[in-house]
Amino acid sequence: MEQPIELACIIDDDSIYVNLVKKIIEIKKLSRNLIIFKNGKEALDYFRPILENMNQDKLPDIIFLDLNMPVMDGWEFLGEFFKIKNSFNKKITLYVVSSSIDPRDLERAKSFNMVTDYLIKPIELKKFEKIFDQEVA
Amino acid sequence: MLNDLQLNNILKDFDIAYWKINLLTKEITWSDHFLVLVRKQDTKTASLEYFLDEILHKDYRYDFREHFGQLISEFKPFNLEVRLKLENGKFRWFECRTLKKKENSLEDSVVLLFVNIHQAKRDQYTIEENFFYYRETAEMTSTGGWYVDSASGAVYWDEVTKKIFNCPYDYEPRPEDKMKFYAQEHRKKAQEMFKKCAEYGIPFKVEIKMLTFHNSEFWIRATGKPVYDKEQEIIGIRGVFQDIDLNKTNEINLQNSLDIIAAQNSRLFNFAHIVSHNLRSHSSNLSLISQLLTESKKDRDKLDLLMNVNDIATNLDEAIRHLNEVVTKQSILTKEKKTVKFEDALQVVITSTSSLIKRENAQIIADFDKLNEITYISEYLESILLNLITNAIRYRQKGRKPVIFIQTYQENGSNFLEVSDNGMGIDLDQYGDKMFGMYKTFHRHPEAKGIGLFITKNQVEAMGGNISVTSTVNIGTTFKIKFR
Repeated sequence: MEQPIELACIIDDDSIYVNLVKKIIEIKKLSRNLIIFKNGKEALDYFRPILENMNQDKLPDIIFLDLNMPVMDGWEFLGEFFKIKNSFNKKITLYVVSSSIDPRDLERAKSFNMVTDYLIKPIELKKFEKIFDQEVA
Repeated sequence: MLNDLQLNNILKDFDIAYWKINLLTKEITWSDHFLVLVRKQDTKTASLEYFLDEILHKDYRYDFREHFGQLISEFKPFNLEVRLKLENGKFRWFECRTLKKKENSLEDSVVLLFVNIHQAKRDQYTIEENFFYYRETAEMTSTGGWYVDSASGAVYWDEVTKKIFNCPYDYEPRPEDKMKFYAQEHRKKAQEMFKKCAEYGIPFKVEIKMLTFHNSEFWIRATGKPVYDKEQEIIGIRGVFQDIDLNKTNEINLQNSLDIIAAQNSRLFNFAHIVSHNLRSHSSNLSLISQLLTESKKDRDKLDLLMNVNDIATNLDEAIRHLNEVVTKQSILTKEKKTVKFEDALQVVITSTSSLIKRENAQIIADFDKLNEITYISEYLESILLNLITNAIRYRQKGRKPVIFIQTYQENGSNFLEVSDNGMGIDLDQYGDKMFGMYKTFHRHPEAKGIGLFITKNQVEAMGGNISVTSTVNIGTTFKIKFR
């Protein structure tokens, strides 16, 4: 059995989707830990103090970011996250995950350097496993 | 008396050539200038036949021969316009006429003058041609001319102008009637532009609404320019009226269609958004569950997943209900507009939200004194008030009794409705542009659905108005609706 990654992060307001992904990660043992935020602001509120204390171990290895969320949506999060990202060295893989099939959303997501890929919901189980495998390798 | 040579020189200076005809011998002598004109040096060829065949345009041969015959046999003078072929081979217009004889004088010869009238003839043609073009253009473009005399105030209209205004042809506008042909709301504008032109010589070119003889409104493009006398005093204004009613009406219709299309497009975009985001997110969850169901081994896991299916079904149902709500709200537009009293609409809303108002102990103050009714679709007005009032109560400031102040008024000819609250407010710098979008929620509030303001905006705009918002966090929010 491969070593799972240490910490994964989901930023999404769809609780059903989040529960399902949580289950997949548990069943397939893809990550040791998982943190979940309902929107971009909650995630930023978590990341900021960590960065101030330079406690990089608490940063996730992988982030799944939804686009349409209340309070602070995925785009705003990307903008804010980009500003603070340079202050740490840890490599973070970020996937934009959305049910939007609007090509303009896809274009826009790819214009961010830190976005590894744009995944359209639903994500297949096999795709999930592949993404985590790549992360470990 | 002048001799032949002197006479010839004078005639030459005036570009006049002549024949001298001996009535006894019937001999014709061509003057030097005539010879120069037709480039014939040899006087022997000065025969009538040669003239008729080689110099005179064939169209005039018959007439000339007739007149000339009568001149010789009966001494009957004549006057005929003819075309002669000159030395360069081109035909030119000449007036051919006999020189007047003195009364009772017995002379044995007669002089036939050939006066060059080519330029005059050409000018005449040009004038006729220009007049033709002017008439045709005026008719085709419905452009009529007019003149107003400054001193007397007399008004002159040409035929096309009378036609444009549907006047009888014998109608002459009286000075005091000048303004009655302008639509009421444009009279002041017309008066000012005439005054400026008459006093300061400022020309005008405007599109203006006028009235026909039978008082029906139509659009005109009017131009006017001052007319000066020799002393550079303005003595009148002259210009044209062009009937542009069809163009203007088309333009207005086109703009209306454009506005409708733009509004429809934005609605379609929102539909696409619901379909793409909300419906798809549920269906993608379903597909994820089915994958997990096949993978999971334990009954416990399978049961958990089935519970999720139930949640998805509920959410999907709600999304479709929202979609339906948007569609029905938009199709109501076909309903007829009628006079709606704001007070009546408010009472309907208060009745339907009485439990919410009572629960939150909300106070609603309404002032409809400045504008108590409006021509609108009553369902729309109720829906707008309902959304704004429930919003105000829902997003109240914690620990503060919700107070909602509603007022209507008129400003610059438009009707306004304002709904203000003392609620939690919203940071417009951050959320302003998304305020009226679909499924945009800004508060971590369980009741936030993100559909109310979207529908309100759609209703207001569908009726040709607009909605704006001002807000201060922790102080309150004011929505301002401008009806068409």
